[in-house]
Formats: sequence, structure tokens, C-alpha cells
Amino acid sequence: MKNLSLLAVLCLLTAALYAQSPPAATRFSLQGQAVDTASAPLASSTVMLLSAKDSSLVNFTRTGDNGAFSFKNIKPGNYVLKISFVGFIPYNQLIKPTGEAVIDLGPLKLKPITRELMEVVVRTAKAPLTIKGDTIEYNASSFKVPPGSTVEDLLRKLPGVQIDQDGNIRAQGQEVKKVTVDGKSFFGNDPKLATKNLQAEAITKVQVFNDKTEQAKLTGIDDGKKEKTVNLELKEEFKKGGFGKVTAGAGPASNNISTRFEGKGMYNKFDSKQQFSALLLGNNTNQQGLSFNDYQDFRGSNAFNFNDNADFGFSGANRYIYFGDDNESLTVPVGGGDGRGFSKNTAGGINYNYDTKKTKLSTSYYFNQTQIQLDAIRENKRYLPASASLRTTDTSNQNNLNTNHRISFRFEKQLDSMQTLVVISNGRLGSGNSNQQSLQRVFLNSGTGNEVQTTNSQSLNNSTTNQFAMANTLLYRVKLKKKGRSFGASATYQINKNDGDLLLKAQNEFYQATSVNDMLRSLNQDQGTNSRSSQYKANLLYVEPFAKKFTWESFYNFSLRNDEVDRDVVNLNDSRNRIDSLSLYYKNNYLFNRLGSSLRYSFKGLNISAGVAGQQFQLDGKFARDQGQPLQSIRRTYTTLIPNVSLNYSLKNNKSLYGGYDVGVQIPSSRDLQPVTSNSNPLAISRGNPDLLPQLNHNLSAYFNYFNPGSFTNFWANVYTTYYVNQIIYSQTVDPQTNIITIMPENLTGGRNLGTYLNFGFPLKKTKATLGLNTQLNFGHNLTRINSVLNETNNQNYSLGARLELTPKEWITFYGNANFSITDTRYSINTAQNQVIYNNSFRGDLNLKLPGSIYINTTLNYRTYKNERLNFNQQIPILSSSIYHILGSAKKAEIRLSAVDLLNRNVVVSQYAGQNYTSTESIQSLARYFMLSFTYNMRGVQGKIRRDGFY
Amino acid sequence: MKKLLILLCLLTSSVTIAQKTEGVATYVRKEYWLKIANRLTFLSQEQKDREAQTWKNWEEDNKGIKMKLAFNANESLYTYNSDEPEEGGYSYRKSEFVLYNNFEKEHKTDIIEMLGKTYVIDDSLHAPVWKIGNQIKEVAGYICMKAETEDPIKKQKITAWFAQDIPVAAGPEMMNSLPGLILALDINDGDVTVEAISVTFRPLKSDDLKLPKLKGKKIDDEAYKAIIRQHIADRMTSRSSPYGWAGIRY
Repeated sequence: MKNLSLLAVLCLLTAALYAQSPPAATRFSLQGQAVDTASAPLASSTVMLLSAKDSSLVNFTRTGDNGAFSFKNIKPGNYVLKISFVGFIPYNQLIKPTGEAVIDLGPLKLKPITRELMEVVVRTAKAPLTIKGDTIEYNASSFKVPPGSTVEDLLRKLPGVQIDQDGNIRAQGQEVKKVTVDGKSFFGNDPKLATKNLQAEAITKVQVFNDKTEQAKLTGIDDGKKEKTVNLELKEEFKKGGFGKVTAGAGPASNNISTRFEGKGMYNKFDSKQQFSALLLGNNTNQQGLSFNDYQDFRGSNAFNFNDNADFGFSGANRYIYFGDDNESLTVPVGGGDGRGFSKNTAGGINYNYDTKKTKLSTSYYFNQTQIQLDAIRENKRYLPASASLRTTDTSNQNNLNTNHRISFRFEKQLDSMQTLVVISNGRLGSGNSNQQSLQRVFLNSGTGNEVQTTNSQSLNNSTTNQFAMANTLLYRVKLKKKGRSFGASATYQINKNDGDLLLKAQNEFYQATSVNDMLRSLNQDQGTNSRSSQYKANLLYVEPFAKKFTWESFYNFSLRNDEVDRDVVNLNDSRNRIDSLSLYYKNNYLFNRLGSSLRYSFKGLNISAGVAGQQFQLDGKFARDQGQPLQSIRRTYTTLIPNVSLNYSLKNNKSLYGGYDVGVQIPSSRDLQPVTSNSNPLAISRGNPDLLPQLNHNLSAYFNYFNPGSFTNFWANVYTTYYVNQIIYSQTVDPQTNIITIMPENLTGGRNLGTYLNFGFPLKKTKATLGLNTQLNFGHNLTRINSVLNETNNQNYSLGARLELTPKEWITFYGNANFSITDTRYSINTAQNQVIYNNSFRGDLNLKLPGSIYINTTLNYRTYKNERLNFNQQIPILSSSIYHILGSAKKAEIRLSAVDLLNRNVVVSQYAGQNYTSTESIQSLARYFMLSFTYNMRGVQGKIRRDGFY
Repeated sequence: MKKLLILLCLLTSSVTIAQKTEGVATYVRKEYWLKIANRLTFLSQEQKDREAQTWKNWEEDNKGIKMKLAFNANESLYTYNSDEPEEGGYSYRKSEFVLYNNFEKEHKTDIIEMLGKTYVIDDSLHAPVWKIGNQIKEVAGYICMKAETEDPIKKQKITAWFAQDIPVAAGPEMMNSLPGLILALDINDGDVTVEAISVTFRPLKSDDLKLPKLKGKKIDDEAYKAIIRQHIADRMTSRSSPYGWAGIRY
């Protein structure tokens, strides 16, 4: 080892020596012999000749049986000779040409590494052992200590280190006099202070070596005494941190709107195991939910858990049954808010994650409240048999307040290397109230061309709801001994409670009524609905790889759902007397069983699977107008076989192909099944149908994908078709007297849909200009029964889109797109009403970076809507711009001035052509406003001119 | 390559060592894409932290992909260990990747599918410039020494651990020409690790070192480097990662 320290000194001098030594003109040979401390030859040792300048390998050889080696014809220059032999400390020697043709080094002694270090450190702990002269270095992370341990606990684990009761340290039998941290003395000279106070987690390396005494260092005279010293090297970035950002902005009242404001703050704190985040946001600029990025920051390592699906089924398919419910999600909502109306939003939450290899825990609480005001004008035209049509105009004013509290809990435990247990619990407590005022007018066109107003309806709806929903899942997976064989089991309990109350006041005038009594109908009702639904699910999955390329998967699903609904409607004008025709009490049990099996072939990127499942759906329902009355029964059993075929093939050069056929089963919602009448819109009454069967969707689809990351070209094409059996369709009956529409679901077979989508993107000039083209075609054939006449609606939709990205310079970019869409709708019962709808949109985004960290972003979004038959024609240009400046050299703050909808034209419009109707909707929404905002981000803000690609 | 001739002479003289120069080593290659994303200069610190915080458990579950290296004293062939799906899962296609080296003739043939094409890189063998360090560690039962080099195009710091007592010049990925078989690689402080899990000494069969018959565009090392260099520059300009899915190998 002395040789090594000598080498270190020599190395320092090398440069100087090299410059001074005269250029040795002749090449030379080098020879020697590797021996151990007892002078026995070390055969087959590795002998390397390194350049003295930078340790680069120049040549190497092996020693012969007698330990001898030689290098011939070496270019003049300085070298380091390095000899290594397993179990010995590598031997290093500086070689300087002497001018002689042959340099003979004679026997070179290699020292053995102590057996303990070799066996314990290198072999058992798998720790790289660094030899630096006299110093032997341990890698701290190779010695596992429990979290929170001190360095003392860590040292106890190191081979050759002992610690007594008082904390005194002995290394290789000698007492350690000094402990340094990164080479510096720590809290004076007591070695125990450092080892007892420092966290083991913060240490990356432990070095044990003999240092000169302080005395020797001071005097510069080596007294020959050495002190055992331990040096602790700290981790460079001890994985721990916190970051946060805050944005606040305000804008003046103008344009008949009040002062605008928005604010958002988020703070995250984390270390290698834990993540904590807190979030608060509020605004009146229609930003309802979290953005995707905010969601990721909020939920951290629990943002996505793709393996939590407890409803096992055909691989690749998702949920196995679909209930036609529209309950709000239990998990933190992302996005949302389509910019309709005027909304005031607040949201906030906290999240905590704890992740280790074996245990993962995540909990969160999230609160959100939205108050929204919607002023809408709607027009709806229904086509009736014999060229008649009914046009309804609706002017409404609505004020909603919705509040939700959500909690989530997820716990994952790796029981051992084979078994995993996951517990998930998500819950939501919500309340809402809504006030709606509406004026509806109905006009009848009996085919003569003249319209006659038949109805005038004024209504006032006042509703409150309280909801509670929770889903708890236990998921167990085990890998069995045979590679690839696995078993899964899961159980879920879900509960949904919904208590709603609706105060309904309406004045309906029917101008065509024949009796005076029918002329004016006024409603003043209190409708209370209490519903409760619980669902119990159990699932099993077994996967067996029965040959090298074949896998056999089987699953079983059980689901039992109990629904209980109590609906009481009373007449407030008649001393709260019950209205039996609108009231109902029912209890339903839905029992669902499915057993399925599939076979898969997988090899070299080709996966083909085929399977079949048998499923049975049983409805056992009881209903009456009121709890007290005798209950009537509905019983229904429905059994079906559903096949499933899929092909997944990845081909050479980034091409992939997919094809599949499956059958989806949609269970009727309980609202659709019960003979309940809902008159919340007095002119369109809906009623359930106890004879409904589940809907079957036969889906056939294929897609092809190609992309070339070298040429930046991509191509995507798909084709899909669905055929409906027992499709749940809402049939309509129009009362000839009052023109009130009664809507009732029924099963119809024969609806179908066929579509295709093509997308092609390629660079016009690589990295500077990219063009994308896409087209979508969709052909739908829908059935409806109108006044008992079957109507067939054929929809043809053609759309064409283009996308252009111009990124010529670092300071200017432009992103534009244009989309054209035409929908041609034909009605079999009333061909005179065939019509064409045009929806076009154009958008351009211009980003500029100006000197002085100033950025400008301008967006023009121009949309047009046209329906000639309805005389509907709207053009909405929305021009918005913002200018921002990044402050300071640290680039952590930003000040921004935004102008939204400079032309003050915003209206949210939609138009739709359905089975036997077309509708348009225009909602007055937040238009022009200005905002000055300030952002501070601890991690810095970045002005992005260019959009990010895939990373 | 005189050193190899010397090495050969030495090898033939000792039977015990000769047995240790022919066989198959199996490696596990792991890519840590969060670390790689952390090096993308166009991402803001906020984006890097977001990725790191969101996907940290996924990165921990990374099981890597198995590779194999067939070697003898003169030749080596490095490719995927198997085409069969792991643990009964789906089978994902792996891009063509076969590296053949002939140390005796100082020649190499690499078949690499990348950027939508299959390339056959046929050139003489250019050994990396190795710096030898003073550390030792154990990999797959062998005591290895440390050597370092830098990738001239990707500017990666590459650490190799080579076995002192397996005297062959072969190694995984494009790394070779050390005094012993390379059993572990570490690219850029853990962005990618390649570590041997087993080394089996056995006489090689004829097809162990056989290149598959594949059509591809024939290029030399310089052309290959030019493609890589251009691709990295293009992708970075368009704010996307040059590495990862269907890009180039890190």
C-alpha cells in the first residue's frame, strides 16, 4: 500500500517530470514478474499498461505460469503499470523510460486483500470496495439499516468495525480517534458526536484509513504514528425537498360583469419515502377543476394506478358491466367546466403518500364547490309521422350550487415476493341545490307549412340533493410457483345514497285544448325521492401458461345490487295530498354472474386471443305506489353468451396492427326500469319500463399505426362498427290534445354505426414545419318509435381537419388547425325535414419571445355553426392575448396581463341532430375580461414558445 | 491487437484458463427513464419534478430486459435473451438488435433497427479508450475491476466492471476490448445499468455466434454516428426525447 501512496505523490509530479524529460527517441520493452508476499509467482495475473497522463488503457497482457510478463515495442512516454489478481490489492507503479531498450522491473509483490474484506464486503454485501492508497472505502447504501438509524448503527454493520457500549469505535482492532465529515472535523474531536448525531440516510460512503496525527500535520514532521480515522461522505443531493407555487390575479369590472379574480396555490414536500401536498384554488373565470398537471402534482405517486381494476375479465377489456348511471366520479375530478355560463369555483385538498418497496399508502381529501349561472336559449324540433313537426323554444335561467367532499385511501402491501394485497376506499359526500326558471313555447306544424303555437309553459324548479357514495375494494394477487401462473381475487362493496327534493311550480297553457279544464294546467308539487343502492361484487381470476407461447385465462364475476327507491309526490295546492300516479316505492335486486375463459398465443410481438363468457342477469323487483300498499313483482332472467376475439401485432419499424370483436352488455338503469313518471319538465314526461332487457353492443374494430421517429412521420387509421341488439331507445308519444311528449325506454334491434378515422402527419421541413391531415367518416342508423311508428334516422358525418405547426425560430412559433364537419340527417317518417348541419372551427396560436424575458401569446378561435332548416347561423370569433414577463435572474416569478375574448363575442353553442329531433343551444357565457396576474414558482417559471413533444 | 495474440499464446498454454474463455453470459438491462428525462434540457424543473414524483413507484418496479452474450476468445455476439413473453404476459416486439464482434480480425457487424429502418453497421472494431480505476466489486460471482470511458456522441459517462479472471475482450452493448469479460455497465451514473446475472462456460454451438439473415441498410461507423448525432439534435430541437420508445438506444 505504501507503493500506492508513493504513486499518488508521483502522479502529482508527473506533468512536471514529463515536460522535463528529454524525448526518448527509441521504443522500449518492459518486463517483470508478479509475485505474492511469499515471492510465489502469480500466474495469469492481468497486467495493464496505462497512460500516466489520464489512466487510459494502452495495452494489456497476462502473466505466464512463472508470473512473468513483458510488453514489447512501447512508445516512449510515461506509463503506469497495473497488475491485478483476484484477492490481491492491485499493484501500481509509475514507469518512466530510462533510455535503455529493456526495462526489467524484477519481481513485483502484490499484497493480499484480507479475507474478511473480500468475503464480507465484496461478496456478501456486494459493495464496491474502493482502494485509494491506504484507504478502503465502503459504500454505505450496501449496508441496510432501518429508517431513522444513526451513523453509529451503520458502522456497527460494517465488517471489521466494532462499537462498544459507550459508543467508542474500533476499526480493524484499533481505536478510532477521529471522525470527519467530508474530510472536515465534526464538532471537535469527539468521534462519538458525529456518529451519534448524524442520520445514516445522509451518508453515501464510509472511509476507514490511517491518518497522520494532528501533531505530525502541524509540524510537518512525520512521527510515524498513525491514527485510525473514519471519514463520512455526505450524499450530494439528499433526496428531500419542498416546492410550491402561487398565482394570484384580478381584473376590473367591465362589460356588465363584476370584478374577475383567480388564485391558486400549491405546496409539496417530499423525501425518498413520503410526499405531502396541499392545494387551494378559487376563481370566477370558469376554471372548475384541476388541470392535468395540477392533478399530477397533487396526487404524486398515486396519480395513476393502472393495476387497480378489480373487475377481472377478458384481458384488454375494462369493466364487464355498465350501468347507465351518471353519478359523479368518486375520485378527484380533472378538467371539467366547458366554459359554460358564469361560474364561481373553489377547490382545495391535501394528499399524503408513503411509499416503500413493500408498503404503499396514499390518502387524500379534496373539496370543491361550484356556483354556476346559466342563461340559455334552446330550440328543439321533433319530427312526427306524416310530415308533422313540433318545435319547442326554451328560454331558461338556472342557478346551481354544488359542493363535494371527497376522501380517498389506498394501501398496498407486498406480503412476500409472491403476494400483493391492495385496499382501496374512495368516498364522496355531495350536496347541491338548483333554481331554474323556464319559459317554453311549443309550435306545431302539421305539415301544411304554417306553424301554430299550441303551448305556453312557465315553470319554476327548486331542487336540493344530498348524496353519499363510497366504494371499497380489496384486491389480492398471488404469483404461483410456476412462472407465469397467477391467481387473483377481489371483493368490492359500493354504496350510493341520494336524497333529493324538488319543488315544482308550473303554469301550462294549452291553446288547442277542447275543454276549459284542459286549457290551463298548473302544477305546484313537492317531489321527494330517497334512493339507496348497495352493490356487492366478488371476482376471481386464474392465469395458466400451459405451453411456452400459450396462456389460458379464466375469470368469474359475481355482482349483487340492491336498490331501494321511495318517491313521494304531493300536491301543494291540495293540502299536500299524495299524487299516486307520480309516486312510487320499489326495491330491486340485480344479480349478475359471469364465467369466462380465453386462450392467448403470444410470441414475438404477436398476441392473438379468443374466448367466450356466459353471463346471467337476474332482476327481482318489487314495487308499489307507496310502501304501505301491496308490492307487485317484476322478475326477469336474461342469459347470454358473449364471445371475445382480439389480435395485437407489433411489426417491424414501428408499425402495429390491432383488431378485435367483443360484445358489450349494458344493464338498464334503475330509473329506466321502474314505472315511475317524472314531470320535472311538464312538457316532456319520462316514464320507466319494467320490461327492459340489457342492451348488447356487438363491436368490431381494427386499427393500424405507424410512426417514424427519424423522419417525424406518423400515420394512424382505424375503422369501427357497432351493431345493437335490444338497444335501449327512448320512444316518444305525443299527446294530440296537449302536445305533451311522453318518453319511455324500450328495446329495439337493428341500430348500427360505422366509422373510420385517418390521420397523417409529416414534416414539411424537419423541426421547422409540420403538417397533419385527418379525416373522419361516421355513418349511423338509429331507430326510434314515434307515436308507435318506427322511424329510421340515417346520419352521415364527414369531417376533415388540418393542423400546421410552424416553429422556424427560437423566438416565434405558430400552431394552427382547421376542422370542417358536415352532418347529413335523413328521417324516414318525415323526409321533408332532412337536413344538413355545418360545424367548422379554425384556431391559430402565435407565440413570441421578445428581448428582456417578455413573451406574447395570441390565440384566435373562430367557430361557425349553421343549420339552414332551423335558420340557425352563428359565427363566434374569440380573440385572446396575453403578455408576460419573467422577473429576475432567478426566473422564479412571472407577471402577466391577459385579455380574454377581446371581441366580446363569447356564447357557448352546440347543435345536435338526434334520432327524430334536432336541437340547438346557446348559453350566455363569460365574455371579455382582463386580468393582471402574478405567479411565483419556487422551481422557476419557463416561457414556453415551443410545445413539448413526446418525452 | 498484438496484445490479443500474446493473450492467445498465454491462453493456449494453460488448459484451466482456456475453459474460461468460451460460454454465454446473461445480463439484465434496465433503463431508468426518469433519470434520462431529468437530462432533457428543454424540460423545466417543474416538469422534471412532476415526472419524478408521479412515476417513482413505476421506476422501482422496472424489471428490465434480459440480454445474452455468447463469447469465446475471438468472437462475441450480443442480443436479446429470449423472444418469449415474460411471466405469461403479452409479448412485445423488440427492435432488431444483434451485435457481432470478431476480435481476431478486428471487425464488427451490428444489426440495429432504429428510427424506422434496419441498419447493418459493418466496420472495423474501434475499441473505446478505457481508463482503469482502483475499485473492485463482485458481479455474478466474479471480482471485477472498474474501467471508465465516454461515449463520444451521446456524451455519456460509461463505467464498466470487467472480470479479472475471464480473459476475453467481449462485453455487452457496444463495450469491449478490456483485459477481461465486462460483467456490468453503468451509463451516466445509473441512467442505464446492464448487469450479468449468470456466466456459463460451455463450448459454443455454431449458431450461437451466427448473425440472423436480415436485410438492412449497410453503413459504416461514421455514418452510424452521423445518424445518431443528427437525430439527437433534431429531437432536442423539437422538444422530445431522442431515446426511449422507437428512438435510439440510450
